[in-house]
Amino acid sequence: MVDGAPVAATPVNGRSPKALLQAVFREERFFLVLSVFIGVFSGLAVVCFRFAIGWCRLYLLGTGAVFSTPRVLLAPTLGGLVIAALVIHFFPQSRGSGVNQTKAALYIYNGSIPIRTAIGKFITAALAIGSGHSLGPEDPSLQIGACLASALGRRMHISRDRMRLIAPVGAAAGLAAAFNAPISAVLFVIEEVIGRWTAGILGSVVLSAVSSVVVMRWFLGSESLFRIPAVQLERPSELIAYSILGIVGGLASVLFAKGIATLRPRCKALPFWTQYFQPAAAGLLIGIIALLGAPQIMGAGYEAIDEAMHGRFTWQFLAILAGLKIIATLLSFVSGTPGGMFAPTLFIGAMLGAAVGGAEHVILPHLSGSPGTYALVGMGVLFAGFLRAPMTSVFMVLEVSGNYSIIVPVIVANTIAYVISRGLQPIAIFDLLTRQDGLELPSMEEQREEGILRVEDAMRPALDPVLDAQETVEQALQKAGSAMENDVLVRLSPRGWSSVAKEQLRAMAAEGKTGANLGSLLPIRRIPDLHPDHPLETALRYVNRWPLVPVVSRLDFRELEGVISQRDVLERYREFGES
Amino acid sequence: MDEAQADTTTEGKMEALRRALPQQQPTLLALLAVLAVLFFLAVTGLSRAYHAQRDSLGDRWFTRGVVDLSARHYDSAVMEFRSALLYSRDNYTYQLNLAEALIGLKRTAEASTYLVNLWERQPEDGLVNLELARIAVEKGQTEQALRYYHNAIYAAWPRDQEVKRRDARLELIEFLLNANSKAQAQAELIALAENLGEDPSQQERVGDLFLQVQDYEHALAAYRLRLKEERGSRALAGAGFAALQLGRYPLAEHYLQAAVAENPGDMQSAERLKMAQLVLNMDPFRRQLSVTKRDQAVVEAFETAGGRLRACGASRGPALPTAAQSSLATSWTRMQPRISEAQLKRDPDLVEAAMDLVFEIERQTNATCGPPEGSDMALLLIAKLHEGN
Repeated sequence: MVDGAPVAATPVNGRSPKALLQAVFREERFFLVLSVFIGVFSGLAVVCFRFAIGWCRLYLLGTGAVFSTPRVLLAPTLGGLVIAALVIHFFPQSRGSGVNQTKAALYIYNGSIPIRTAIGKFITAALAIGSGHSLGPEDPSLQIGACLASALGRRMHISRDRMRLIAPVGAAAGLAAAFNAPISAVLFVIEEVIGRWTAGILGSVVLSAVSSVVVMRWFLGSESLFRIPAVQLERPSELIAYSILGIVGGLASVLFAKGIATLRPRCKALPFWTQYFQPAAAGLLIGIIALLGAPQIMGAGYEAIDEAMHGRFTWQFLAILAGLKIIATLLSFVSGTPGGMFAPTLFIGAMLGAAVGGAEHVILPHLSGSPGTYALVGMGVLFAGFLRAPMTSVFMVLEVSGNYSIIVPVIVANTIAYVISRGLQPIAIFDLLTRQDGLELPSMEEQREEGILRVEDAMRPALDPVLDAQETVEQALQKAGSAMENDVLVRLSPRGWSSVAKEQLRAMAAEGKTGANLGSLLPIRRIPDLHPDHPLETALRYVNRWPLVPVVSRLDFRELEGVISQRDVLERYREFGES
Repeated sequence: MDEAQADTTTEGKMEALRRALPQQQPTLLALLAVLAVLFFLAVTGLSRAYHAQRDSLGDRWFTRGVVDLSARHYDSAVMEFRSALLYSRDNYTYQLNLAEALIGLKRTAEASTYLVNLWERQPEDGLVNLELARIAVEKGQTEQALRYYHNAIYAAWPRDQEVKRRDARLELIEFLLNANSKAQAQAELIALAENLGEDPSQQERVGDLFLQVQDYEHALAAYRLRLKEERGSRALAGAGFAALQLGRYPLAEHYLQAAVAENPGDMQSAERLKMAQLVLNMDPFRRQLSVTKRDQAVVEAFETAGGRLRACGASRGPALPTAAQSSLATSWTRMQPRISEAQLKRDPDLVEAAMDLVFEIERQTNATCGPPEGSDMALLLIAKLHEGN
């Protein structure tokens, strides 16, 4: 510095500037920094998306809380026509579930999602939601985030491994900004997109989600999507009331999922020209439903959720709203109108929850739960039952309500709904949509529930004698004579295992080493320890190198619990596959 | 073969780029930061336009709502305030006005949810407490109503704080009176009277309320304060009635005469005046009364009481005279020959004995035959006046 020499040219700690640069900007670290940028860009994009929806609503449906009749009929119908034309001619990828497209990017397209998809999703979903179609902004936000992340990753020329994971990182950022709930977004992406917890990806997902939420709050404030009422649970016996909500929510989830399973393929099978009119027809029907007295079903419906939480509607009307929202969302979604199902799911759950709570209050007036509490639990119930993301469903309610006392009712009701939904509708909604779209993506639910094979499932008892490394070759030969298998295990001292074949022992004897210590003649390489609780995959790594692998106790590594060979492993896998 | 070569070339290029990445990364990150700043600035501009538009729309709907609310067009007001809330969901004023419009439509359950929400945000808001108290009154939730009323009385009010607090207390008193909690109402009234100031109309209202809780002393004081500032037939009548109840008959006569003079159609005051005058005329123990007049009053009272005793006996039927009544009748019959002006002049002690019997007869007949009228009522009041003397 004193002599004016440039800093970068000076070696630091004996390392060249280039080496230092490489050390600082190793790809893992670069990926983490990139995740923050992904979060920022996604947050900004989601804010713009929210503005776009707001403006569309304002100019298409009007500025008031009550819509005029012509607008209610014309906005979703004409909006549907424009959306159909845009989707068919310009943005065909903007149709369908953003979650599945992000999964496809992860598992099929090496993390690549065209930026055109994000543009298409932005325009068409904003138009759809703003014109009153019964869809939500979360799934498009998730996809916009994933697309931006993918585009950034491509520009930055990151490695293929990182590139594959970049779409979920963006998806978490998009969802976090849309929900204003970073924890739920991270959990959802881990639970439904990535399917596994790994430290490498978790850091990036969390960073991007948090940074996107910070950006979103900067522009839109930190208030949650709806005002949360006071939550209370005075008596544990009231959990029965929440269990009933779980049952009703589970059945509603099945009904909703079956509707999509049945109607979507039929709509897709209609002649191609009908695709120009399907969103418009759906919009018209939604407009008619709104005109008949339920304008709350139009759009994402967060205002109505807020009102339901604060006891604005009777329980009968809430139940009707839940039913009508299922119909409206089915119409919008199966017609191919771009938009998400998160908000409608929350809407249906909230209405159903508040309706069940209201009805229970009529029968049992002493129940302490307010309509708002039931609505909150109801949202979690539908999330667990319909979207089949049980963990996210619990944390979402906790994060949105900011109240820990609600956790027990939420867990009880969500579990019941999930079990009912799983029982009556074996294929989860995201897997169903994937299969309808002709893709084969891994099912996170199946992965979660897949049984893990362990070493104890394949090992067999060690019936042959075990040799000791201290024994002479002659003693070992005598002992091995009674063994049924060709290879015999040798217990090393002070710990460890090896094996020796009968021929090897005979060869040692023939070489005149009968009096020699067996341990001194064995190869240095030991057989790795396997324990009964190890996954069977671990055994697979060793059984091709050693004909017989000892399975030892974790308490005493010298104590043999069984043995396992390649044949045992393959046999067990075969049986598992057949079952 | 060509495709394979092209693939290899692309892969090679990518690999070269990746190898060059550590050197390029600072530049790329700097570029990203610049892009982020530009994007941020653009969104800030959009955000300002978006929020400004929403604020303006919210204000527009709110202004319309206020106009409709003051014109009592509650239906339109509700819709307009709801529209305003679309643009500013947590706006306190919008929510409060919506709640008021909902109350106007008698949708109190809905209004209550908004008010409770507002109360949670600002538990010291007077208007919110007052509205919640009114809803609690409507629902018959006495304890809640009392709590909210007291909150409103001690709450912060944006304008005319003292007036608003006084009105809230007056409302509470009326609620307590309707709930027949006179003792509580009286306590609140005393507190109110202390902080009432000099508003004549309020003094008159407080006087009326004191009359309702039968606190005639405070009622008279309130009416007097009112009359000191401004005369009024209602206040005069109230003061007259309070004085009558307190047994201050000359004062009662004074106020009631003035009340009747101001409002000749006030028959109730005229009746009360008549009673006050009757009491004053029939009382043989009043000051500055000549002996002759006193004796005349005693004779008249004795005859009146005899008549009342007979009438009461007749009304109950000959078979049902009580033992006390029989004894009084015997006493009266025994004393009657001695009750004359001449005899009373000769034996002044007889005045006391005669009047004692008169008072006893009036009290007894009041208990058995119900409240008397006219002269008998006057005698009963005189009896009360001289009770213990």
